[in-house]
Amino acid sequence: MPNLVHLSAGARRALLLAPALIFLAVFFVMPLADNSARSFLAEDGGFTLSRYADFLTDRFYLGVIAETVILSAVVTLISVVIAYPVAYVLVRKAGRFSGLIVFLLIAPLLTSIIMRTFGWQVLFARRGLINQWLVTDLGLLDAPLRWLNTPGLAIAALVHVLVPFAVLSIASVLQGVDRRLEEGAQMLGASKLRTFFEVTLPLTTDGIGTGAILVFMIANGSFVTLVLLGGGFQTLPLLIYQQFNTTRDFALASTMSTILLVIALACLWLQLRLLRRQGV
Amino acid sequence: MNDAPSALTLSAIRKKFGSLMAVDNLDLAVQPGALVSLLGPSGCGKTTTLRMVAGFESPDSGQITIGGEDVTRQAPNKRGLGMVFQSYSLFPHRTVAENVAFGLRMAGASKQTQADEVRRMLDMVHLTGREEMYPSQLSGGQQQRVALARALVVNPRVLLLDEPLGALDKALRESMQFEIREMQQRLEITALLVTHDQEEAMSMSDQIAVMHGGRILQLGAPNDIYDRPETAFVATFLGTSNLFEGQVQGDRLQTRAGALPLPARPAGDSATLSVRPERVVLGEAASGLPQQLRGRITAASFRGAYAAYHVTLEGSGVEVTAYRQADTALGQTSLAVGTEVPVGWPVEHGVLVTGNAPKE
Repeated sequence: MPNLVHLSAGARRALLLAPALIFLAVFFVMPLADNSARSFLAEDGGFTLSRYADFLTDRFYLGVIAETVILSAVVTLISVVIAYPVAYVLVRKAGRFSGLIVFLLIAPLLTSIIMRTFGWQVLFARRGLINQWLVTDLGLLDAPLRWLNTPGLAIAALVHVLVPFAVLSIASVLQGVDRRLEEGAQMLGASKLRTFFEVTLPLTTDGIGTGAILVFMIANGSFVTLVLLGGGFQTLPLLIYQQFNTTRDFALASTMSTILLVIALACLWLQLRLLRRQGV
Repeated sequence: MNDAPSALTLSAIRKKFGSLMAVDNLDLAVQPGALVSLLGPSGCGKTTTLRMVAGFESPDSGQITIGGEDVTRQAPNKRGLGMVFQSYSLFPHRTVAENVAFGLRMAGASKQTQADEVRRMLDMVHLTGREEMYPSQLSGGQQQRVALARALVVNPRVLLLDEPLGALDKALRESMQFEIREMQQRLEITALLVTHDQEEAMSMSDQIAVMHGGRILQLGAPNDIYDRPETAFVATFLGTSNLFEGQVQGDRLQTRAGALPLPARPAGDSATLSVRPERVVLGEAASGLPQQLRGRITAASFRGAYAAYHVTLEGSGVEVTAYRQADTALGQTSLAVGTEVPVGWPVEHGVLVTGNAPKE
């Protein structure tokens, strides 16, 4: 084994990174590449774009893409709107309780998303806890409500899963905003609300952007929540699953996966641009 | 006597943080157009006092008035003040022009007024042509000028300066001191300056309030405070002082250094005598002075305009610091370490102060 000390800095770095890189290449990049390649493979073994042409001209499939993107956008919007006040309280008001809030935010991420979604099912089932409260205990309703398989519940569950990501993104940027800037604005006659919109919010758009892109990306690929809670949504991940498992049209599934991947890469590119701008 | 109402008054202000008394029964009145400094070491309560005037902290008790109006419970944005921070605190996402125009925009001034005023202010702080630049593209001194323009453009009732030059290097700091002082006097703006830098306080202020432990120990014109410190703390915080503690015996003070003649009759039996280093006379000229002390020069350092000497007194071993003008025309030549010299000072240049010398 070569002595690490005698290698150049570059070689040493390469050697230290190698295990992770090889692992990622074998188990992440190769399957993805293989999967994408499959979508360009014609029946006769040649190269074809026909699947993309078919897919992107089909009203049904375009509808699915639109539904996926719109659902993710709605979830993102709600998540950011909920996350901003939480991040604000976490950074500005919580004081010694900020550690507790961060723990509460991160704790759900320690559980599998499947378990959490099952939790929602248990809570909102026809004879679940919520209906029992509403009907039997509080007597607010005559009959139990149907919660499961409604769009609202599916969106709520997605938001629940994704809000922590938005909170943490916004909080980290908010943390860096100098309070003296806000005080400076107040000295110049700006009310607290005006100060927020003139100073605090513009200085945290990077955090909002990063958080929103993160939430959007994860929502775009979310699968388990929609499978278990339904909501009548027909999104790309659900369709891909169908194609692989039910229809067994691997080529079409690959095409859709690649389209989903392209959307994710576009988001990633946006995020990198945001981060780069922040660095200036 | 008090014809003009004070531009700013603080009456019996108290502020506690937990068990710490940050500001303790503080009274201060600032006359219109005057610049008053709050000078003191960190933790003396000067910043808390400024932040209460600004409205970012609210006093536990007491009253703050601006132009005769009680503002004690008023929100910061209603007080009509201007503030310059040590960290400049320019809005990084706005241009120089937008930063300066901010206060006018908040007040609902027309676009035309904003543009005119921004031009006038930037001209005043010598930054014409930088309108479209962002703060990060300016040097520290330029940023502080923008901050000054931004604070002054709204015609503040009182200008608050929170260690405004602390982040600048020494040469720039001195020229900015003159510049701010000149502008403040020309515009006749009432100003409150917080600083821990005694030179800054002395060169910029009409009055200095020396603070310690949440109280104002002494308030007065810079030369007043320098020449007539009332306490040992003020004597040593503002400049350097030789302090002699002792018991009063007739018209003399019995100290470790010997029986020193008193400039005035002290109130009690014990007293502390403060003598500024530049008042101490070394050499033959001192032999006729009433102290009749002798000492050996133990250290000498040349400081450009003057030389500083440490003298150990014969017999007592007490250390005395003395400054001598570097002026060969007066026949003052430098004194070598080890030289034995007579030491003294004109009696009237000693000042009686209360309190003890800080323990070394």
